[in-house]
Formats: sequence, C-alpha cells, structure tokens
Amino acid sequence: MVKMAVYSTDAIVIRSREYGESDRLITLFSREKGKIEAIAKGARKPRSTQRGGTQLFTYADFLLYRGKNLDTVSQAQPKESFIHLWNDFDRTIAASGMVELLDTAAPKEQPEPELFTLTLSFLFLLRHVDPYIAQAAFALRLMHSAGYLPALDECGDCGKSLRGEQAFISAEAGGLVCATCKNNRAVKALNPGSVALMHQLYKADLGMLDRLRWNKKVREEILGGLCFFCEHRLEKRLHAWRQGSEFI
Amino acid sequence: MDYLHYPRSLSDLIIAFSRLPGVGPKTAGRLAFFLLQHSGEAEDLAEAIRIALRDIRQCSVCGNYTEEDPCKICSGQGRDKTMLCVVEQPRDVVALEKTGEYKGLYHVLHGVLSPMEGIGPEQLNLSPIFQRLEGIKEVVVAVNPTVEGEATAHYLSKLLKPFGLKVTRLAHGLPVGGDLEYADEVTIARALEGRRVL
Repeated sequence: MVKMAVYSTDAIVIRSREYGESDRLITLFSREKGKIEAIAKGARKPRSTQRGGTQLFTYADFLLYRGKNLDTVSQAQPKESFIHLWNDFDRTIAASGMVELLDTAAPKEQPEPELFTLTLSFLFLLRHVDPYIAQAAFALRLMHSAGYLPALDECGDCGKSLRGEQAFISAEAGGLVCATCKNNRAVKALNPGSVALMHQLYKADLGMLDRLRWNKKVREEILGGLCFFCEHRLEKRLHAWRQGSEFI
Repeated sequence: MDYLHYPRSLSDLIIAFSRLPGVGPKTAGRLAFFLLQHSGEAEDLAEAIRIALRDIRQCSVCGNYTEEDPCKICSGQGRDKTMLCVVEQPRDVVALEKTGEYKGLYHVLHGVLSPMEGIGPEQLNLSPIFQRLEGIKEVVVAVNPTVEGEATAHYLSKLLKPFGLKVTRLAHGLPVGGDLEYADEVTIARALEGRRVL
C-alpha cells in the first residue's frame, strides 16, 4: 500500500520538547497510527497557530506531512487542552507519569485504538479523581493492554491465593508472588490492604475510581511497587514516576 | 555522516559544530568550510568564545550570566528591591529588561521542572531563592506559559506562600497582533480570566 505524503489524525501530545530556535519536537499518540514522532516548526513563536495544539497533554486534530525520520506538523487544531492538568501541580505530575509510561510501552506506528481511548478517558478523569489513584489505575490497565499485567489474585509461581496475604511484586515473576516463592528475587513488599486496593484499581469501572481512597502508606507501596515493576518490565527508568514520589 | 574523507582536524571541527543545538551534520559541514575559507572570521569567533568562557560566570546572587559578581542588576542602585522576578533562562531577563517596565530584581532558575525529562528542584537554581526573601514583598513568577512552566509556578507558589509574600504570575492571553480565530482554548480561557475594564 502506498503511504500518503499528507495525512490527518486525531492524537494526544504525550511528549513535547523545545527544539532549535522556535520549533517543538513532539511525540503523538494517535487513534489510527499509534505513536508518531513529529516536528512542529515555529510552534514556540507567540503567533504560531500550532502553539496551543502542540502543548503537552493536548488532544488535537493534526495534519501531518510524512518525512524520512520525522513527520512535520502542518496543522494542529486543539479539541481539548485539559486545563485542569495545567492548574494543579499534582495532576501535572500524575499525567506526566501516565504519558511517560505510555511513551515507553507503546511501539512506534502501531495502532492501538483501545489504549488511545483509555488514555483519553484517564486524562478527562484527572479532572475529579485523586490524581495518583488515576495514575496507578492507568498503569495497571496499560500493563494489561501491553501484555505485562501482573497476576493480582494469586502467586505467579505456586498459584496460592493472595487474598488477605502479604505479597511481593516481582518483575521477574511477572506479577505478585507469595512469601514462600519470592526466594532471592528483587521484589517490593505489598501489605494485604495494598494488594486488595490494586485489585480494585484494576477492576473498578472508571466512574467508580473517585470513590477509592488510600492512606499514605498504601499509596507509597502501590506507586513504588508499580514503578519498580514497570521499570523492570520495560527496561527503562521512569523519570516522572520517580519525581512524583519525591513530591507527594 | 561519513567524515573519513576529511582531514582529522576538519572532521573534529564538523563534529564539534554538530553538537550545538539545532545544528545538523550538513549545516555543521557548511560552517566548518566557511571558517576555513574565512580565516579572519574564524579567528574572531575563536577569540570571542575564549573571552566569553573566561569572563562570563553566573551571578552568585541571581544566577544570571555576568562579567562581575554580583551582577549589575543585583548590585545596582535604582532597582526596586522589594520585587523579585523569577525567570527560566538568562535570555528572559534580557526580554523583560527591554520592555523598561520592570525595575525589580531577578532570579534565574536555569530551566523548569520537567518530570518527564527527569528535571526536579535539585537540578534548578531554586533553593538560593529562599536566602533572598528578606525585604521582598512580591515575587513575580515569569516562567513560560507551558505545562512545565505552570507546574513550576504552582510548585514555587506552594513553597513561597508560607513566607507571607504576594506571589504573582505574568498575565496570559492573546498576543498583540494575534488572531482570535487561531487562538487555542487555554489561551482564550486565560485571556477571559484576565480581562480588564476599559
């Protein structure tokens, strides 16, 4: 099939970096084409029409020219700018953690419409849900979508039920393991309350997430455990996750 | 790019140029060949770089680039020492000074918080700001209106509020000569928030 030189798609800006005198290098996560790298020329100039559409987290309609290494943004018409992510420091940090994980896990130019819808839903959810609850729930669902979902009900090795038990998250075992099976693996400990909440974060309807509550200890265990697991499975340091845990 | 056909010193020069921001291998090659053909300009450039590296340092008070420490603004008379303007880069000090509207002091962060790039408070010139708050009545946060800029502004305001200071943010809105039709919703929303009685 011949690839069109110019194409349009709706996409979320999942990374936006300054480049050169006034350009922006952006990473888009689009509904039809998955992850795309593009350059928006002159997008940092005050009068550029692409300025709003190329900001981090923005959901916009894009018209792009296909290039050898990078595509070039011709038009970027914002559909939703997620102002709530600009106005609240914790929401910025949580959304950064979410899109960083997406950027790391999603392969280039491979359409994943379900993951696209999930990401968009979570960016909207951040308006009223505890940002770090949303971040943890998104990470669990993204890891499932990418095929890395940790087994949450039972020990990944012996199959023992982990309900009401202390568990250990292990990247090597691909999920949770019991105290007997953890052996000498690199693991992070999770108390029974954290295991139960992780289960809810993964299973609950998106509309129910705003009813979930956690205390500082559970939050640190879950976010720390997920960061540890995702970094080991994806083999990349997650800067925004680590920074987030310093600020909370 | 294949530099095997160039003499070693020429390929080193091209590689050095290509490390500069926004300079690709082709431009780096053009710059290197230009300098070889214009030895006068090359000498001037080398001398200017040498002098700048020797004489310019960061002001120990505000973090701006200066030849004398503290810089002219920090030590200068006629500045309003009750106002402190926090900016991202030394270039932003120049942009604000050009307006002639601001007469207070500056503090240069040398970046903004960027969780995804791993830039946290420790990587910025942030903590010295708390040693400068004596006599300050207002802190103007003048970082860029991007998501990272806003995150930095909120973080800074959270840290500064307990000192009982007035913390303000530069107004956001439509650029002079801009077109409302092409403005994005964040810009229009901010412009509406900051509307003024005529």
